[in-house]
Amino acid sequence: MMAVIDAHASRLMDVNSKAVTDAVLSIQELTKHFGRIRAVNNLNMEVHRGQVFGMLGPNGSGKTTTLGMLMGVVNPTSGGFNWFGEDPTPEVRRKIGAVLEHPIFYPYLSGQKNLELNAMIKKCPAENIPKVLEIVELTERRNDKYRTYSLGMKQRLAIASALLNNPTVLILDEPTNGLDPMGIAEIRGLIKKIAEDGKTIILASHLLDEVQKVCTHFCVLKKGNLVHTGPVHDVGRGAEIVEVGAEADNLDSLLVDFSGTSSLVKENHHFQVTLKEGFQSKDLNRFLFEKGVVANHLVTQKKSLEKMFLEILSESEKS
Amino acid sequence: MIELLKIDLKKLTSYRTFWVVCGLYFVTLGFGAASGMEALKWLARTFEDFGEELNIDRIPLYHFPDVWTNLIWLGGFLKVVLGIMVVISVTNEFAYRTVRQNVIDGMSRFEFLLSKILTNVLLALMSVAMIFVIGLVTGMIYSPSIEWSKVVTDLEFFPAYFLEIFFFLSYALMLGVLIQRSGLTIILLLLSKMIEMIILANIDDHLPWIVQFFPMQSIWDLIAWPFPRYAFQEIQDYVSPLTVFIVAAWTFIFNYVSYWKLKKADI
Repeated sequence: MMAVIDAHASRLMDVNSKAVTDAVLSIQELTKHFGRIRAVNNLNMEVHRGQVFGMLGPNGSGKTTTLGMLMGVVNPTSGGFNWFGEDPTPEVRRKIGAVLEHPIFYPYLSGQKNLELNAMIKKCPAENIPKVLEIVELTERRNDKYRTYSLGMKQRLAIASALLNNPTVLILDEPTNGLDPMGIAEIRGLIKKIAEDGKTIILASHLLDEVQKVCTHFCVLKKGNLVHTGPVHDVGRGAEIVEVGAEADNLDSLLVDFSGTSSLVKENHHFQVTLKEGFQSKDLNRFLFEKGVVANHLVTQKKSLEKMFLEILSESEKS
Repeated sequence: MIELLKIDLKKLTSYRTFWVVCGLYFVTLGFGAASGMEALKWLARTFEDFGEELNIDRIPLYHFPDVWTNLIWLGGFLKVVLGIMVVISVTNEFAYRTVRQNVIDGMSRFEFLLSKILTNVLLALMSVAMIFVIGLVTGMIYSPSIEWSKVVTDLEFFPAYFLEIFFFLSYALMLGVLIQRSGLTIILLLLSKMIEMIILANIDDHLPWIVQFFPMQSIWDLIAWPFPRYAFQEIQDYVSPLTVFIVAAWTFIFNYVSYWKLKKADI
């Protein structure tokens, strides 16, 4: 798990160094009203090449509406967006592979025939079909009718279809929705595999830990407003919290004495130390050791995306 | 263009309902058109039962050039079967939401509609070809002598027949795009003629000249009822240019409304 985040972090560095001019998608003041409801409100955002960009938000926060506008099925009320610096046209959409909401195929056609049809629409050679079926491991079931597929297979066929044209950008909307834990793991593995090929991925989800596991950047939408955008990497930064336990009676006073302690809470048998900026758990460990105390419990807690997400939402509530 | 037609045909040719409905249509069209002599024989037998005599040889049902207008007029009744097929084809796209995925995958909304319109053109052309072949064969069999001047008479009814079918399929497509649900659309399609007749019954005393501009009336006028000629009555044995214009205008309006609705809708 840590290794994954680190891998992403290093990817992130590569990305950031050349990101500035590399906008795959830029959105300007995009707005959509459904009658009185403002589904999306003045959205400004950029996604750069190579990012795995997570869109977070509670249900009904405007994620799918935004993606629908980006893919030409929902007409914006005002504002606009560019793909690869170009105006959105059907030709540009063919460079993007997208699965919105849930997989959509002709139920009476086989997986193979559905993909053949999509290849014709995307104007790409049908020779790509065996390859994408292989990636999503549906080769064996390709001649069965789509309606006989399980939900996980439907999701995988949708990803296969999105990959058909070898797109540079992939849009996935709740790709693990309704799947069992094994299906979720499969789809996640698939997304990571695709991301390693250098594709830009936009992933809408309300599953925070999913975004934290696979994304490099994320934004948070709430009631159609953008309330946060930034790298996932930053989530772990800031004040570190360390849980400490040791067989020493004066542990609490020692911890208060430590120059890196910003606050101290006793919780069950352990102390929770919130460290000041610039201090890390190893500094605390060294300090205790020098005072002749050996910690038998030392756990560093990184702030989870979930915690941050809830903070962002409650902050936006106040303002 | 061909590519778009191929896309729509690919959707349809693996769909069993399509084969069943189209099969029924072309088989009924074929047998119906070819069994006119049997119908006349039956009529003659019925007359005999009442002690009357009917000389069926004096009714040149399948003689050139009568065969063309007779078959085209009868064939027009079956267009509703094709219309239902078109409704199913387009409302399925909304029910499965595949129209949305087609657009996401890179079709423009116009291209999506065009693929459906092209299929309509193809179905109309096939209907024309079917009637032409049956007319040609039965005409060859039953005409006492083959005179080419008679064979090529009244052929202008074929473009008119094409227009009639294409008009009706365009209408069915528009209803499908507007209503999006198959059951309701089919009911409305079937009732269209009747609804129009009720409206016309209420206004034709006041504005008789307006009647010919109504859509269902316009295809009714396009190809006149041919059989009164066997009762020694005058019939309209030509295609009226004004009616052609009215039908073509309606056809354009129907397809434009479909386009307008698809364009502005969130799909």
